[in-house]
Amino acid sequence: MSEPVLVADRIHTRMGGHWLHRGVSFSIPRGEVVGLIGASGTGKSVLLRECIGLQRPHAGHLRLFGEDIWALPLKRLNQVRRRFGVLFQEGALFSSLTVAENVAAPLKEHTTLPARLRDELVAMKIRLAGLSMDAADKRPSELSGGMKKRAALARALVMEPELLFLDEPTSGLDPISAREFDHLLRVLCDSLGLTALIATHDLDSLWGMVDRVIVLYRGRVIADGPVDQVAATDHEWIRSYFAAGAIERG
Amino acid sequence: MDAPGLDHSLNGAGCELRLRGAWCIDHLERVDRLMADLRVPHDRAVRVDASGLTRLDSAGVMMLVNRLRAMGVVWSNVSLHHFQPAQLTLIHLVADRLDARARPRRRRSPPLVFLGRALGTATARLLGQVAFLGRIAEALGDLARRPALLRHREITVQLQTVGLGALPIIMLMTFLLGVVFAYLLGVQVQKFGANIFVVDGISLAVARELSPLLTAILIAGRSGAAFTAQIGAMKVTEEIDAISTLGLSPVQVLVLPRLIAIVIALPLLTFVGDVLGILGGAVVAATQLDVTYYTFFERLKAVLPLKTVLFGMVKAPVFAAAIAFIACRNGFAVTRDARSVGDFTTRTVVQSLVAVILINAVFAVLHPELPR
Repeated sequence: MSEPVLVADRIHTRMGGHWLHRGVSFSIPRGEVVGLIGASGTGKSVLLRECIGLQRPHAGHLRLFGEDIWALPLKRLNQVRRRFGVLFQEGALFSSLTVAENVAAPLKEHTTLPARLRDELVAMKIRLAGLSMDAADKRPSELSGGMKKRAALARALVMEPELLFLDEPTSGLDPISAREFDHLLRVLCDSLGLTALIATHDLDSLWGMVDRVIVLYRGRVIADGPVDQVAATDHEWIRSYFAAGAIERG
Repeated sequence: MDAPGLDHSLNGAGCELRLRGAWCIDHLERVDRLMADLRVPHDRAVRVDASGLTRLDSAGVMMLVNRLRAMGVVWSNVSLHHFQPAQLTLIHLVADRLDARARPRRRRSPPLVFLGRALGTATARLLGQVAFLGRIAEALGDLARRPALLRHREITVQLQTVGLGALPIIMLMTFLLGVVFAYLLGVQVQKFGANIFVVDGISLAVARELSPLLTAILIAGRSGAAFTAQIGAMKVTEEIDAISTLGLSPVQVLVLPRLIAIVIALPLLTFVGDVLGILGGAVVAATQLDVTYYTFFERLKAVLPLKTVLFGMVKAPVFAAAIAFIACRNGFAVTRDARSVGDFTTRTVVQSLVAVILINAVFAVLHPELPR
């Protein structure tokens, strides 16, 4: 149990003719909610894609639950994939299915549960994600941005994952919905015992909900620790990043 | 992982449930059966003991909460013992959110409502077509008043893809059609020793019907589908909204160049089709029917009036306009989801093929007499 859920070990990634990651290393122990920040184009989303097995890093190892995911055969990788959930930036809900069908999709693929139990689970996850049951029969195109994110969260949580990856969970939401969503995430992480890695630009999310921040800058991790500690780091980019938040808040 | 279990005992004070093993999604059916066998008097206090529990997730909690509530147990009468603090938070969260409301089933609408709705959509679609026709007419009117609006570059690009790009396939298809048709006809006329009449048959058929129709069908499948997919994808990425915001008319920018290009290209392609179709006939006549090329083309001059060739070529712009109208209209009707572009592209191909064949029938009825 004491082993970290996620370990990134000297990740190198080359993209568009230059090195995007030049030795990124960090680890996340069980139950921790970690924020990943960095300027646009520093490869936060690419790092997430590498963690969930969608894009292979050029060098380095990624261990999820102690398994080096890029050394696993596809079958084993898919078994590991059952143990984590992903919330994509735009939600990535299947547009031809209703919300309830979207949430039920992983259950249909991975379990043999009878429809009655499946519906019950789906209803619970939709309620847990803070949606009303009226939303269940709607299609993604009929939902607002915040509701889409919640529906996507319900789908990410339906297989009872231990680990959750979130790519910009509050982007495109108004500040009030964003704070509500942060609060929901925090409550769910605490009560479901989730470990989470959140790529974000949202300063308020950092102050409000994460245990730890990892800062990517020019292909390396330049700071890693609790938010107040990272905010006090004497580094040009980090100073201006947190100062931008101060200006924003007036 | 250990299987879930449940012991239950009834005493004076109330009912006691002792949970064992892993109450989680992997064993959910088992948990469901355990809870189904359980009988709890609904007016007594329920004591839930978790000392034997090894794992608990929200699915397991849901079974406990939902099934106890279904038996009529009031949640406030349930007391929880020996749970870990995190498990207690989870139970309280789930019990709080699952306020005993059943999942609403999708309502089926009565047939009359269904009929009304279908009629409504059909009418709206028809009105949409008329409105779109109006917008094209308006754009054409603007263009007539201000010729500077004409987008030469875009028209040239479209002419290249619609016209030049389709040239090889049109040439091949019409040539092969000419070969096959001449062979079929040749077998018949040979019976009467009237081999030379293959020229009459092939030239009239190709110039009047085969080449215009085949070319239009190929272009409907090739360019019509492309128009819908291009405009539809632009709709999805909000490029069309961006065009409007720049103060330009999307119809003027996107539809007219395509319409003009296809109306110019299709008659030209039809003429190429005429030539290649007759050429295909000539090859068969020379090799199979002892009609030399010289004889073939001498006879062609005598039996194929210009009127017939022109009749075939006059149909082409009408087909072209119909294809462009249907394709662009469907492109603008695309909605912002993944399936929509495919749906409307399919519609374009089907509708424009039907339109081409219908229009062709109308022409045939309006101008039935064959030249002697």
